[in-house]
Amino acid sequence: MQASVLSATIVGVEAALVEVQADVTSGLPCFTIVGLGDAAVLEARDRVRSALRHSGFEFPMARVVVNLAPAPLRKHGTGFDLAIALGLLCATGQVPRSAAEGCLAVGELALDGTVRPIPGMLAHALAAQASGLRLMTAAAAENHLIGVSGITLVPLADLSSLRNGVRAMTMTQSDLAGSSSLPGPDLADVHGHASAKRALEIAAAGGHNVLFSGPPGSGKTMLARCLPALLRPLDQTERLETALVYSVAGLDERPALGGVRPFRAPHHTCSVAGLTGGGSPPRPGEVSLSHNGVLFLDELPEFGPAALQALRQPLEDGALTLVRAEGRVRYPARFALLAAMNPCPCGFAGDTGKSCSCTPQKIANYQARVGGPLLDRIDLWTRIDRVDPAGLVGRSAPGETTARVVARVGGAHAFAAEHGRPPSAALSGTELLRACALDEKGRRQVEGTARALRLSGRAVTRLLRVARTVADLEQHARVRTEHVAEATAFRLLESL
Amino acid sequence: MIPPGAWQLLRGDSGYPECLERTPRPPAVLYGVGDPGLLVPGLGVVGARKATPYGLACARRFAGWAAAAGVVIVSGAAIGCDLEAHTAALDADGSSVAVLGCGADVDYPACASKVLASLRRCGAVVSEMPWGSPPHRRAFVPRNRIIAGLSAAVLIVEARLPSGTFTTADLAADAGREVLAVPGSIHAPESLGPNRLIRQGATSITDISELADELRALGIAVEPPGAPGRIPSGRDPLLRALRADPMRVDDLARTFDLDIVTATRRIAALEQAGEVVRYPDARYGVPVRETQRRYNQSVGEENPRVP
Repeated sequence: MQASVLSATIVGVEAALVEVQADVTSGLPCFTIVGLGDAAVLEARDRVRSALRHSGFEFPMARVVVNLAPAPLRKHGTGFDLAIALGLLCATGQVPRSAAEGCLAVGELALDGTVRPIPGMLAHALAAQASGLRLMTAAAAENHLIGVSGITLVPLADLSSLRNGVRAMTMTQSDLAGSSSLPGPDLADVHGHASAKRALEIAAAGGHNVLFSGPPGSGKTMLARCLPALLRPLDQTERLETALVYSVAGLDERPALGGVRPFRAPHHTCSVAGLTGGGSPPRPGEVSLSHNGVLFLDELPEFGPAALQALRQPLEDGALTLVRAEGRVRYPARFALLAAMNPCPCGFAGDTGKSCSCTPQKIANYQARVGGPLLDRIDLWTRIDRVDPAGLVGRSAPGETTARVVARVGGAHAFAAEHGRPPSAALSGTELLRACALDEKGRRQVEGTARALRLSGRAVTRLLRVARTVADLEQHARVRTEHVAEATAFRLLESL
Repeated sequence: MIPPGAWQLLRGDSGYPECLERTPRPPAVLYGVGDPGLLVPGLGVVGARKATPYGLACARRFAGWAAAAGVVIVSGAAIGCDLEAHTAALDADGSSVAVLGCGADVDYPACASKVLASLRRCGAVVSEMPWGSPPHRRAFVPRNRIIAGLSAAVLIVEARLPSGTFTTADLAADAGREVLAVPGSIHAPESLGPNRLIRQGATSITDISELADELRALGIAVEPPGAPGRIPSGRDPLLRALRADPMRVDDLARTFDLDIVTATRRIAALEQAGEVVRYPDARYGVPVRETQRRYNQSVGEENPRVP
């Protein structure tokens, strides 16, 4: 007696279909699972046996072999429990075979037969949708799929409900309640730092990489925390992309489904695998968790050199490929980098009030830790200085509120979209030149600037990208001389 | 191992510099590489290691002119003003003597090795430490008395308080040498040293003609300089403010009550026009372009990524 049920396993951020074949034949009673399952898959034997018994079914006193096909693909996790149980029930005729037809069964079983959701529910749901299948899973999985439309679910509270026949339901889109941006300080609450705020505004509008450098206590981190509130909500495609990463990482995907752009701030002790992803089974790292959002690296030179250099591929390609013995996985990682650092080990190099106690060599070594290739990808650089204490106690007029800046950022996005352009950070080469639409005067100015400031080719590209965003903020189709001028003020100098 | 072209002078030898003999504590032996004929009273040019673009520009201007006029430049080999003075002298095809706190054949600091190699070839590098002595922190302050001793006058470009540069001025005064100082902004910690020296009676040097007068008064024959250079003046109040005192955009916007975008654009336009430059600490100030690269070195980056 043989039966097969479809299930899936997570590879990267996608669910790969796996056929669970159950064969019950006469012979000495035993229960084997073959097909490269990890320890969690093999433990399914005990969970399935108990769950069947406690749900009023019978576990066959026969030779039971379960094969997970395709056999060469490594499978991991507890999601096969449901499919294995269902396969056994169909093979032994305790449940009609029609129950499993057109279904993708994914779920973990508790010993009492309760069906539990597993990490990556969203990936499984999308795989089912793509193959025209219904997703048979835990009833509780519904919570992980709010805001995703067009998915047909077969919710199961526990195994025993299979006996009464199952009902499919289609998810309709319902918006998640709550704010579509992360909480953070309001720009108006941050005193001074006018150019840093402007840099944040440009970064939010164009998706640029930003570096703040300045002495400790000057407000770099607080300014960085203002950025999430400036970012526009995720659009429909982005929501799914980002939520998928959170889903397979076993994290809460609801903020992403609700449109909140991710803002990740890993500590500087973060390992390379923690940043880029890795482990067995591979899990997405911080760069992928900030997909379509912002990765904030505070105290940049304190990160391990290997971790910093590992950022280069995702910054360039918008994705990260991990190659391991068991195969290669690709995680999306298109993020804007926001970094903050002290200019030297003591932190006070270049400070007007306090003198720096580091030797020139020490400063050079400290700054060299970040490395040229990474700095090459920084579009906006701002020096953050300690503010005058007189202003802090409230003698100066408050600056602009976050809401006003958000309105301008939104306008810039709408303007770029109207012209069929992605955010300027994604532009390069001829695309960028076309987008800038420089007139003769502008071209001469850019050439003159590049010569006067001795800019490299890459630096000119960065300059034009920023200038394009500045022009977007003012809703100018053509990049004008003043936009280029402003962009030069944010370029990275040789020394921080 | 004694390097080729090396020499050593004992006190009482005929070649032992007479100006060094006339100091409170002349070194017993002077080890050197290069031209021993350069050990005549010269112009000491010393300044801070963490110099500002202003200090480097001054070191370059005065040392460059004096070297071209035939005066031997004497200095240490530290990063910052010292190296700037030597490079200016070498660029002007003049003569320069470096006094080290380690053996005269040792390249210290490492970033000075190119300049030291040039000096050994067409200048001189001297030390009271035996050949091959490694650098030791206690050797550097006594070394300053040799710099003072080999100089008819010592020009202090920039010095914080307290600092090694400032002690060189004290040692020069003890040896009865003229102390000259370049005044600077009262806001700049790097100019505290020279400004205080001027108050204590050092001669202030603001122009090449003043330096020429001082050197002539000391009996050093120099070619008369041309007409003093015109200090450019501008109408733009932003530009005038930045010339007087380098500032960051935020401070400038606050001072002139401009919004940040306007201030940024105006200052960037001034930079593109070459009127001001952005210093590595993000302040904008007078352009000292030829010294910009070396300033970057002095604040830390050996190899600027953007040439």
